[in-house]
Amino acid sequence: MEATREIYWNVGHGVILPMYLFTAIAFAVCAYGFYKRVEVYRLGKELNRLDNLSGRIILLLKNLFGQFKVLRVRGPGVPHALFFWGFVLLFIGTLLIMAQADFSDPLFHIRFLTGHFYKLYSLILDLAGFIALVMLFGLTLRRFLVRPEGLKITRDDYLMHIIITAIIITGFFAEGVRIAATELRNNPELARFSPIGLFVANQFAGLDDQSLRQMHKLWWWVHFILVMGFIVTIPWSKFRHLFTTPANYLFADQREKGTIATINLEEEGVEHFGVDKIQDLSWKDIFDADACTSCKRCQDRCPAWNTDKPLSPMKVVQQIGEAAFTNPQANLIETVSQDVLWSCTTCRACQEICPADIEHVNKIVDMRRNLVLMQGEFPGEEVMVAVNNIEVNGNPFGLAYAGRGDWTEGLDVQQMSDGATVDILYFVGCYASFDKRNQEVARSFIKICNAAGVRVGILGKEEKCCGEPLRKLGNEYLYQMTAQENIEQIKASDIKKIVTTCPHCLNTLGRDYKDLGLDIDVEHYTVFLDRLINNGSLSIEAHQFDYTYHDSCYLGRYKDIIQQPRNVLHAAGGRINEMDKTGYDSFCCGAGGGRILAEEKIGTKISEARVRMATETGAPLLISNCPFCLTMFEDGIKTGGAEGEIIVKDLAEIVAERITVQN
Amino acid sequence: MKILVCIKQVPDMESRFKINSEGTWYDEADLAFRMNEYDEYAVEQAVQLKEQLGNEPEITILSIGPDRVVEAIKKALAMGGDRGVHILDNKYYQKDPWQVAATIASYAKEQQFDLIFTGMQSQDRGSAQVGVTIAEQLGMACATTLVGFAYDNGTITVKRELEGGIKGVARMKLPAVVTCQLGLNTPRYPTLPNIMKSKKKELQTLPVADLLKEAELTATDKMYPPAKKGGGIVLEGDVGELVDKLLGILKGKTTVLR
Repeated sequence: MEATREIYWNVGHGVILPMYLFTAIAFAVCAYGFYKRVEVYRLGKELNRLDNLSGRIILLLKNLFGQFKVLRVRGPGVPHALFFWGFVLLFIGTLLIMAQADFSDPLFHIRFLTGHFYKLYSLILDLAGFIALVMLFGLTLRRFLVRPEGLKITRDDYLMHIIITAIIITGFFAEGVRIAATELRNNPELARFSPIGLFVANQFAGLDDQSLRQMHKLWWWVHFILVMGFIVTIPWSKFRHLFTTPANYLFADQREKGTIATINLEEEGVEHFGVDKIQDLSWKDIFDADACTSCKRCQDRCPAWNTDKPLSPMKVVQQIGEAAFTNPQANLIETVSQDVLWSCTTCRACQEICPADIEHVNKIVDMRRNLVLMQGEFPGEEVMVAVNNIEVNGNPFGLAYAGRGDWTEGLDVQQMSDGATVDILYFVGCYASFDKRNQEVARSFIKICNAAGVRVGILGKEEKCCGEPLRKLGNEYLYQMTAQENIEQIKASDIKKIVTTCPHCLNTLGRDYKDLGLDIDVEHYTVFLDRLINNGSLSIEAHQFDYTYHDSCYLGRYKDIIQQPRNVLHAAGGRINEMDKTGYDSFCCGAGGGRILAEEKIGTKISEARVRMATETGAPLLISNCPFCLTMFEDGIKTGGAEGEIIVKDLAEIVAERITVQN
Repeated sequence: MKILVCIKQVPDMESRFKINSEGTWYDEADLAFRMNEYDEYAVEQAVQLKEQLGNEPEITILSIGPDRVVEAIKKALAMGGDRGVHILDNKYYQKDPWQVAATIASYAKEQQFDLIFTGMQSQDRGSAQVGVTIAEQLGMACATTLVGFAYDNGTITVKRELEGGIKGVARMKLPAVVTCQLGLNTPRYPTLPNIMKSKKKELQTLPVADLLKEAELTATDKMYPPAKKGGGIVLEGDVGELVDKLLGILKGKTTVLR
């Protein structure tokens, strides 16, 4: 017998009209729902997120159909991906039915749902539906029975789990009853290609033909109504993520990671800075709230949230959405609260893991801009003192700027102002210049460069704070002032390459300064050393040691520099004992976002939490690559009671201890 | 109401000081400058008073010195001053407190200020004389080392910090001069719109010769760093005493504790 089935069997071609009618209405209602939401997105400012459209579309298709970001957290990610692919297949299956039943057959008498193709089609769809059902069941158990901490259950979740489960089950019921009434009797061979349908059919095999047909009509219509119900609820429930999340892939920020909008401070007539109400945000900031499915992966990884501070990146995003849709006049800063806003370390763990490409960090920085630039607010008086110190002396410590280059005494380093010929400009940064512990890193770096025959120059007292903590705290004005002074000095030095031992300076000079007129090669010293070792310029002896390594936020997540430092440490003889939270999952030291200048007054210490993670590996040595991390860990080891258990060193110190050839 | 705030731009106290070629003041090379800390309290208090009176008062910010002091005047304007007066004097350090006060008094006399705020003393010369001398030369009431200030209908009630932590309360009718001490208030951080506005506010420059008609009463003979003494202080006593003594030294002899 031919391998095919009669489309609209039993329900009859009479259903076509009402079916398409109701479907059209459902789609129209759905479209209307989104149209109303677009009105709210538009409360925000314009922003072009459709440039390089073809590139964006490719990313959309990759991320949507590949489910790569969803899969980053395997537990719930794998079931969701499988469920999604199952549904995609079912949807394609429905499209194929429509293609044949409403176009190719009536118009051209072409039927392709026959023979081997139909057998394959049946099998794939049955399996797809089954896998989707099983995965959905697993996800339902997870949400309602296991109840992972922080995963809220809302009205939408009941709606989604119940309606989709019902849709799949009624679909199989309709199929099963149909098979019971047709293939089971006339073409049992074919029925094997619908294994689930066959199973259901066997449960109803005993019924007479008339009962089967009545049941079939019932399940068919129930299934149809459920689907219509589903479509209609999309814009008004979490179902909207079916459209908003893929849209967010399309609208994703294509700029370098960590790019912040540079305010034009010269602009005439601009009296308002930063964000304190919905209208100050861009439409994308409001849209982000609609793309959020409360998966809480951001919250799970937030160093502030995990040390009992009130900041939840997910909550901030959702509060903005709530305000936009229910109270657009609200003062966002009062809604979110200062304690929440100041707690952020801009570590980017939230954005890195978000499966919906939501941009959490810049919303917080924009609100901080309002706090600082419009209200003169700071997280604490000590921060205002540090900020004033940067303004007066170019460093947060308030130490005399004239002494910035004093750490070089006795070392082979040139001052750029002497007009020396050098290979690289070493941008030292405030901590390596002035902080005793971090000066060791600067000295180690020079020692290494000397051994490799690299001529190093510094700006010395002409160097000022790169401005990064200022910028992240929201003080865009002072950041631009201090940045311009650095840019002037760098340009005057006529240098072509900058190397720095600080990831924050790295990001700021290499990326942020571009908006202010400096486009120059800036490299982190770990990448620099990796190259020197590889090309033979630097010779180090491998003295074995056990260690664990901390990927700093501004090197790992911001710059994707994860492997090179490990290469260097391997060449130095190191045996690494990775922490659980490593690489892109690394847990912040707590100093980012300008918080190096602030006292930690809420909750427990982030630095202690990270030191604990390090000691848990059993390694006696923790290695870092950032002056902030080094400072925080020295602190965290002492205050967290880990003294004697673990010590912390910078990668530069390890390498400097192992130099074999002195140039 | 017309308010005058006298400010001085001084070097940041963390700078390393060297004596200048004349031997009578410090060399300005490699120094970072900022508004005298005590003058920040003066500016802040003046602005708070202006806000209290519904922004009716006009605040004039005055400073004496070379071109660089304009930066300090601008910061005071950004905090809330209305207009600036720069008395240009490249040899400001050669004037003694009597002359500095006379310069300011000469300017202020014509302007008929109701209230003059200054810092208690400057962080570089530290004479603590200019404020009181202005009051004397203008015949105005004066109170110094303010840690509290309240204005009510032409009368001000002030709290003064005296020795041993004792506070003295005084009341004066305007016109008056007050000098401000640490603890009076927390100077505000200028908002960006105010920084932008301050760039457009009136800034008048007057040569010092136009205003200064007084000869010096004290002359600076020589300035030199203290002789280096060997050794340190050994503190003795039980822990509680030691802590108190140490805190006293840190507070009094260093800037580690603010």
